[in-house]
Amino acid sequence: MNLLNFRRFAIVLTLVWLGLFVLVPHVLVLLTSVMSPDAQHLAVWPLTLNSWERLFEPVYAEVFWRSLWLSTLTTVICLVLGYPFAYIVAKLPNVWRGVLLFLMIVPFWTNSLIRTYAIKLILGNKGLVNAALLGTGVVDEPLQLLYTPFAVVFGLVYVLLPFMVLPLVSSFDKLDSTLLEAAQDLGASFWARFRLIIVPLTMPGIIAGSLMVFLPAMGMFYVADLLGGAKNLLLGNIIKNQFLVVRDWPFGAAFSVALIVIMAGLLWLYFLANRRINRQGGLDDESL
Amino acid sequence: MIKLPALLAAVLMAMSTALHAEEKLVVYNWAEYIPESTVADFEKETGIKVEYSTYENNEVMYSKIKLQKGKGYDIVVPSAYLVSKMRQEGLLQKIDKTKLTNLKNLSPDLLDKPYDPGNGYSLPYLWGSTGIGVNSKEIDPSTITSWADLWDEKWQGKLLLTDDVREVFHMALKKNGFSTNSTNPDEVKVAYEDLQKLMPNVLVFNADAPREPFMAGDVNLGMIWSGEVIMAQADNPDIHYVFPKEGAGFWVDSFVIPVGAENVESAHKFIDYMLRPEVGQKVVEELGYSTPNAAAKALLSEELQNNPVIFPSAEIMKTAEFQNDIGDAMKLYDGYWEKLKTGE
Repeated sequence: MNLLNFRRFAIVLTLVWLGLFVLVPHVLVLLTSVMSPDAQHLAVWPLTLNSWERLFEPVYAEVFWRSLWLSTLTTVICLVLGYPFAYIVAKLPNVWRGVLLFLMIVPFWTNSLIRTYAIKLILGNKGLVNAALLGTGVVDEPLQLLYTPFAVVFGLVYVLLPFMVLPLVSSFDKLDSTLLEAAQDLGASFWARFRLIIVPLTMPGIIAGSLMVFLPAMGMFYVADLLGGAKNLLLGNIIKNQFLVVRDWPFGAAFSVALIVIMAGLLWLYFLANRRINRQGGLDDESL
Repeated sequence: MIKLPALLAAVLMAMSTALHAEEKLVVYNWAEYIPESTVADFEKETGIKVEYSTYENNEVMYSKIKLQKGKGYDIVVPSAYLVSKMRQEGLLQKIDKTKLTNLKNLSPDLLDKPYDPGNGYSLPYLWGSTGIGVNSKEIDPSTITSWADLWDEKWQGKLLLTDDVREVFHMALKKNGFSTNSTNPDEVKVAYEDLQKLMPNVLVFNADAPREPFMAGDVNLGMIWSGEVIMAQADNPDIHYVFPKEGAGFWVDSFVIPVGAENVESAHKFIDYMLRPEVGQKVVEELGYSTPNAAAKALLSEELQNNPVIFPSAEIMKTAEFQNDIGDAMKLYDGYWEKLKTGE
């Protein structure tokens, strides 16, 4: 009986919590997005779709595509770096695997803002990278790395890489090595084993990791502010400026909702992909 | 083994009395806009615990104060145009001058201005200018004399601009012969279109400390605040300051007390402390901005008093135009600003 009461209590608590701190704020954002902007009161009646229409102005479409492109690039680079790393980690004896994961997490005990400032020192005209390039004679003039889209992607990859690696490690963990041995016994080449067994079976990890990198990458305005020279490179920069500088809250809210819709769409695709994998007799994917 | 609970009780009691006894002050100021030791000295002398946070431009500060309806902060340091705006919107409370013993130190030059007639709501903290910074190691400072020089194609992808809408528009307005406080939509549009031509030259908008990219060698030319040059020169004398011939941007930042401030008494003590001659002196020595405090200025070394970056010549001051409130025209600026930064 007690157990049942506790269960009920836990469910109610969770629902109230989510309702109060997730549902209500989002409804407020949605509501704000269809109100009219006002200098005095931030958002007022009457309801209007004006802000939503403005989303489709060419200048914002450009930011949207740029944001999408930078986030995609970040995701692909994280995947290329994270996939072999996760594979190696998963195959190591437990002790080493703990050490490697620990080493990957340690920098994250330092605030990401501080680490982003540190990247400025590394990429600057007199920073480590340029000093090395100049010193070895690869270039004669310092390369302009800082305050470019390159620096933004560099920063995003650095900050978000663990979010790619962790789901991948858990996917590799569940990869049944007997399947690979069987494939090898039957004469499958490494490439064939990789393409036909490893990739499909780690697909849930690939998708989960990609989402966890891609979605935050669209919004990390401070990385673009510090490393990209505070031009409006990401959707997150536009949203921040609409709320804090221009004070057009309905427009900022419309942008936020649009971002949420994109995220929801991607999560839905993830759900579909997962279901397909499960139906094909792939992984039991409850844990992801 | 009874010691632990007893100790815990003692600690809890000490904490709760400390909480009750302690006076508090919440200061919201520009980043790097007060000597670090000044806050500590104030705390030590008065026993008031200061909670200090910073903002990077007027607009962000205004949004927060507006959103919280003037609650949450006891001291804020807006520029003149926002003093005017916030005063008219009822976001500020009157400063009780009977509580200030050091008011007499302020020079009348910067008092009783149109943005706050009679200084009922604000008292000037520092003033300064926004001009052009040049690294003489890379660029001959004598070749840069005007804002218009920044438009030269050879600076493609090289310039630093401050992340401040009024200052960036100041350049273009002045370059085209308009007032920095223009509210004429045609003039603002001309300035905007001129700034669009400048954008390919812009490498970075800097919000917190324009001297940093100069000192790191990432930029050698761009907008900079007078005090930042003085601070930078302590480490790197190659960084020069140019008063553009169209006119540098001039601004005053003032102490105000938001209408919802909870520690009004402490806020007055803080303002009075900051108005002391020796405190004002230290502020100028460490930050390099100009003080409206005549008594503090008198304490400065001959060298600082005659430094043209801190205290510009009478000739420059004669034509200096200070930033003012521009009312609803600000929306126009903000809209163009957003477009500029988005690349249009």
